[in-house]
Amino acid sequence: MINLKNVTKIYPTGTVALRNLNLHVAPGEFLSVIGQSGSGKTTLVKLLIVEERPDKGQISIGDWDIDRISFSEVPFLRRQIGVIFQDYKLLPQKTILENVAFALEVAGEPQKHIHQVVPQVLEIVGLHKKAKHYPTQLSGGEQQRVAIARSLVHRPKIIIADEPTGNLDTINTEEIIEILKKINEVGTTILLFTHNREIVNRLRRRVITLHNGEITMDQAEGKYVL
Amino acid sequence: MFSNMLSLWRIIKSAFQDMARNIGLSFMTILMLVLMLLSVNVLLAVDNVTKEAVRLVKDQVNVSLYFAADAGDKDIGEVRNYISEFPEVIDVKLLTREEVLSSFQNRHKASPEVQQALIELGANPFGPTMIIKTKEPGDYKKIFEAINVPEYEHFIEAKSFDGNEEAISRIQNITNRVERIGFGLSALFAVIAFFIIFNTVRVTISSQKIEISIKRLVGASTWFIRGPYLVESLVFTLVAVGLTIALIYLGLQWVDPYLTVVFPSGFSLTNYYNSHILYVFGIQAIAVLLLTIASSGLAMRRQLKV
Repeated sequence: MINLKNVTKIYPTGTVALRNLNLHVAPGEFLSVIGQSGSGKTTLVKLLIVEERPDKGQISIGDWDIDRISFSEVPFLRRQIGVIFQDYKLLPQKTILENVAFALEVAGEPQKHIHQVVPQVLEIVGLHKKAKHYPTQLSGGEQQRVAIARSLVHRPKIIIADEPTGNLDTINTEEIIEILKKINEVGTTILLFTHNREIVNRLRRRVITLHNGEITMDQAEGKYVL
Repeated sequence: MFSNMLSLWRIIKSAFQDMARNIGLSFMTILMLVLMLLSVNVLLAVDNVTKEAVRLVKDQVNVSLYFAADAGDKDIGEVRNYISEFPEVIDVKLLTREEVLSSFQNRHKASPEVQQALIELGANPFGPTMIIKTKEPGDYKKIFEAINVPEYEHFIEAKSFDGNEEAISRIQNITNRVERIGFGLSALFAVIAFFIIFNTVRVTISSQKIEISIKRLVGASTWFIRGPYLVESLVFTLVAVGLTIALIYLGLQWVDPYLTVVFPSGFSLTNYYNSHILYVFGIQAIAVLLLTIASSGLAMRRQLKV
């Protein structure tokens, strides 16, 4: 599903963010990526969603060779991946319903399908009653649930969650992780980038540890060890 | 460009939604465009009024050749033909001896002394007068030099050019200066207009730069993001030009009565706008539209690189 082969990323300042990284993620896996600040987690997320390009190596997601993907193909790839960000990245001028529908609109889905699917997805994340609210009228946890709804509305095979609980309290954190687990149960591959020790320890799924841009540990049912 | 009509419909819907939800910003953008267009049109109106004023003054300046009372028709006809051949000459009018006398009598009908003197002379003392109009005041000198030859000396008694030389030269200077100032002001306004539009659009887009990058990260294509801004540019332009037209016609109702008093030629700015409305506002609309599109393109270039 996801393959990284000898991937190196060096920023113009000379900082080596990732060094000869090799990683394989199988379909349906729930992978946690941990590491201290500056270990290369954010760079890895950026490479996977083609916000950055690698300087060396190959990255493939399904049939896409994303290290060679053209600028005009990037939106098509992003429509195949669901991304959840720490700061939610919701469109403030759009309602919850419109935010979630937007992911389908950009993909050219018919209006009838959008009217059918979006309320269902909002119901899954428990926000169907707040569909006409704007993001600023919701709590952090609710906003993150909207972001999850948006990321899964187009039924992606992969969801990349970049510190999804970073801005949330314990109760909301639990809720978000439970939703991600349910999404994973239906076969969606989840890549969870996190600092949260408790979550990783309780998940008991595959964990890789990044340090100075290299994978220093890869545990099949791992714990949070730096 | 667009995959289908559905995308186009979504782009248009998104544009109107953005404008409505950012109503303050939309209002400010339109206001800036209207103010800029009004400035351009005030300059255009001033330019037209100045040109009309200069045309009127030029029209009143002419050179008169006063022929001797015994000048023959053949000699006068020869001068007339000779003068008419000059490309600078736009009109040559000949007043007969009788017309000159009648005009003189009319001018001095309040002066019994002058009337008495004419009676005492017994005969018409005036010769015919030739009134010459040229394209530019500066052309008179050339005409005058052309007729200042010995063959014509004996039947051309006087020329009124010398007395007007200073006035003509002054008008020529004023005309040139007005044209230069008008051109300079137009260029200055064009530059100011460009910066106003560019910055207005840039501020609008800067306030939405996070949204643009979010749309990009969610998988929106460049045209799906840029499209609503193009539609907004078109709507802002049409509304701004429409409002400007309304305000200008409102202003003309107040200005035109004054112009009618000043210009006996019946010059009216309303007539000018009526006969040039498509040309004047068409060019302004196209210019504003191109500027807003170019400005929005430049302003969102960085966000679209995500």
